[in-house]
Amino acid sequence: MKFHILFAITILFVITVSCTLEETDYEAEIATEVTDYYDFEEATSFTSNQYIITIEALNGSLHKGYNEIRLEITNTQTNEHINNSEVTFLPILTDASGNNSSCPHSYELVYNTDENYYSGYAVFTNKSGDIGSWELYISFTDNDQTYTVNQNISVLEQTNKNLNMASFIGNDDEMYFIALIAPQKPNVSENNLVAGVYKYIQPTNPAGDFPDPSQFLFSKVKNHKLLLDPRMPEPSMGNHSSPNNQDLIQLNDGLYHGVVNYTMTGNWTLNFIFLNENDQVIKGTEVPTDFTPGIEGVKSELYIDTLF
Amino acid sequence: MILYSDAMKYIITLLLFWGICANGQNTKAEKDSTKSVELEEVVITAAIKKKIETEMKMAVSVDEFLASSEDISFIKRGAYAWEPLLNNMSTERSTITIDGMHIFGACTDKMDPVTSYIETNNISEIDIKSGQEGSLHGATVAGSIDLKRKSTPFNLYKKWSGSYQTGFELNNKQFFNLGNVSYSSDKFVADASISFREAGNYSDGNNKEVNHSQYNKFNTSIGLAYKTSTLSSVRVEAIFDQANDVGFPALPMDLWLSRALITSASYKQLFEEGLFKVWDTKVYFNAIEHYMDDTTRPENLVHMDMPGWSTTYGLVSKATLKNERFFSEIQLNAYNNLSIAEMRMYPQDRSERTMFAYSWPSVTTTVAGISMNNTWELSERSQLNFGGSLTINYNHSKYVEFNWIFHPGTPQEKTRILPSLNTSYQLDINNFNFSIGTGYGHRAPSVSEGYGYYIYNSFDRYDYIGNPNLKNEISYEGHASAGFKNEKASVQAKVNYFYIKNYIIGRVLSMGSPMNYQSVGVKGYTSLDHSTLFNFSLNTSYTLFDDLHWKGSLTYARGKDENEKNLPFIRPLSYQTSLNYNYERFGFQTSVNGDIEQINYSPEYGEDQTPSYTIWNLSVDYTFYIKNKKTVLQLGAENVLNEYYSTYADWGNIPRMGRNIFTSLKFNL
Ligand SMILES: [Cu+2]
Repeated sequence: MKFHILFAITILFVITVSCTLEETDYEAEIATEVTDYYDFEEATSFTSNQYIITIEALNGSLHKGYNEIRLEITNTQTNEHINNSEVTFLPILTDASGNNSSCPHSYELVYNTDENYYSGYAVFTNKSGDIGSWELYISFTDNDQTYTVNQNISVLEQTNKNLNMASFIGNDDEMYFIALIAPQKPNVSENNLVAGVYKYIQPTNPAGDFPDPSQFLFSKVKNHKLLLDPRMPEPSMGNHSSPNNQDLIQLNDGLYHGVVNYTMTGNWTLNFIFLNENDQVIKGTEVPTDFTPGIEGVKSELYIDTLF
Repeated sequence: MILYSDAMKYIITLLLFWGICANGQNTKAEKDSTKSVELEEVVITAAIKKKIETEMKMAVSVDEFLASSEDISFIKRGAYAWEPLLNNMSTERSTITIDGMHIFGACTDKMDPVTSYIETNNISEIDIKSGQEGSLHGATVAGSIDLKRKSTPFNLYKKWSGSYQTGFELNNKQFFNLGNVSYSSDKFVADASISFREAGNYSDGNNKEVNHSQYNKFNTSIGLAYKTSTLSSVRVEAIFDQANDVGFPALPMDLWLSRALITSASYKQLFEEGLFKVWDTKVYFNAIEHYMDDTTRPENLVHMDMPGWSTTYGLVSKATLKNERFFSEIQLNAYNNLSIAEMRMYPQDRSERTMFAYSWPSVTTTVAGISMNNTWELSERSQLNFGGSLTINYNHSKYVEFNWIFHPGTPQEKTRILPSLNTSYQLDINNFNFSIGTGYGHRAPSVSEGYGYYIYNSFDRYDYIGNPNLKNEISYEGHASAGFKNEKASVQAKVNYFYIKNYIIGRVLSMGSPMNYQSVGVKGYTSLDHSTLFNFSLNTSYTLFDDLHWKGSLTYARGKDENEKNLPFIRPLSYQTSLNYNYERFGFQTSVNGDIEQINYSPEYGEDQTPSYTIWNLSVDYTFYIKNKKTVLQLGAENVLNEYYSTYADWGNIPRMGRNIFTSLKFNL
């Protein structure tokens, strides 16, 4: 008798621990469309005289959009890291007809004494091969001597749409760039949204010897504002939006910070209105807020698509 | 996964095994237990329903049976799984248990109230307690509905018994077969039941078919009890229920599969001497899975998957104390529930990424509480009841980031203390009886109210967002009753009044936008300052002749919010009257029931005015004996005049069933 009760309990237990359809693995769910950029690895390295220059980027590759750059210089003869050099960094895009342009970047790299590298960034506006090819022009000093070197690099397509960028000519006829920096891996949640906003500075003097950095000047845009209205563009979502978002404003790190709430996974559009320090619109339009099932949401003039 | 779908097979195998052991048991009859161990358990509730049948119909569904209680009304989303409202309050406000076991549906759209996971042939009675008198099973506002499982007592002589019911209902071509069998002996008892129901679409009073109103249900149960000593026994029980392909005409989705496994093991100890009489302890586990299906609705703009799971394990331990004048029940309730519900929307271009969110972001509810109910007989005529409970309610939301979207920074965990107190006084003078009582109690928000996320309510067409920071709902109630009874007639009037502080209800939010395409906006669960509810019922019966009985009842309710505006789903004045005539082996029944026009409706919550209706029903039964075993054949018609109507609580005003001719046959084995 008792055996049968045990038997029954065992069977019931086995039945109950399994169910017909599996629950969604949420961690895997929010990672499917997102490449994780976590570790800085070597993206490229090259030599100049006795020096080896190593450029590190997240996951060891450079992509369209915002890239944090770590640069190290090693003297192969002394096997020492150079830590008191003045390093300049200039990416140049050369198109098929030989025209040169650049992209937002930090021209003078800053030495990070804790981690022993020169730090900077580049916001590549195109992947290699789209319009032309990218080359890095680097100069550095050691023992009062200046070395220059240039190296062809490969800029890959941005596969993580959460790091997309937009470039546009504003109402003030200036050229601007907005590049998403975070979140790399959004969540159905409040997400701290970080973007870099840059501007191309028109050269005032004629070009000198190539590459003349004064022809390729970019600056971080100061004290502007990005009004944010995130929406799901999918027609069946009817222009769905989320509450409690915060517009992006510039903080001490020079980047623009705000909050985006994603209410579910899928395609999202971050609609922006870009305001200058006097709250005048540089670019962007208000989007309809009506709920319109079956109709694809209207996007602002200025927007960046994301997906997770 | 395969194992689960084979569950039925195993249970049938178990039934066979049980048959074999039962036979083995026969050989050694034990003679030491001449003492009667069937201590009479004092029942202090008025509203116990004894036989699972109604005046009109002997073969009813659990819902139809519950509907015959004047305390219960229903929100109906189709022909299946009606949501029982106790004292005109929704299921969040009542505790619904099976033998004291807590079970929670796995559907965010309330397609699966607990009452949908049982069948009439595995319950023996339904114990309905109003208000805080129902706090024995846990914190409540409206009261408690406890579905009591059938359990055959131990018997000195080996005895087999059973019954089989079959029937057909013409309107929706419902065909059902219900069988149950019990074996009892001195040491061992077994109860088993199995049932199948299958129904097509029903037709309304205009003879128009109501699409998506079909259902299929399979239910089986087994209970085995073994007497471990003259005064103690162990019992294991299981119910398995599966509903397939159930239509919900009032909802934008149907049900593909809903499945419950409800298991328990209990130990009961009786005491011959002293104050302690019975100590009954049970551990239980139940798992529900619920998968909705919208592929049956090609007109939907968005295809969605909406699976849900609800798993509960718990402990209930009850001690019964009694001396000459005093009776007391002390119960410990502890359980842990995990509720998960997902939604995945498919874009029109299926190569695009699907859109995923949790509608219940993996919410754990852990509850522990102690309750007590006491009855003190002050004199032959009067008694005082008093009781109370203290419960700790703990919630944890695993994916609390979902809750942060509307409630930034809300904590992941929340602990609440839920006290409850009640007292009442009963007086019997000759043929008259009176009672008066009061109660006070808290309840915690439900998973949907606290943590729900874009749960679409097709009634008012809003997406609902839970609020983890809601205050406890606090109920202050008063109730009274008066009655008269003699051999021929009885009259019983009952009133109750609830003043509910922090009444939880959905209010339009100024932020957010709908997620479900049918939706018109977003509502958040909010606390009103208070609401009030008033319920009145009058029951009368009269024996005109020995064989002719009349019964009538009247109910009225009124619910208002803090601004004196109407609450939704409050039943208008309703009436029921029936005549019952027995002639030899025939029984004739006829009844008329209806609601008057709903005047106090709530447009804010999606209600419109519902016109009055009157339904006339008829049935006749014939009792005969096959080998001394009682057999009853019944034939009848509901809604004889084929009235086209829908009630105040029919979701989306779906019409109710038109004329329905039913027949059923019940054999006793
Ligand atoms: Cu459902």
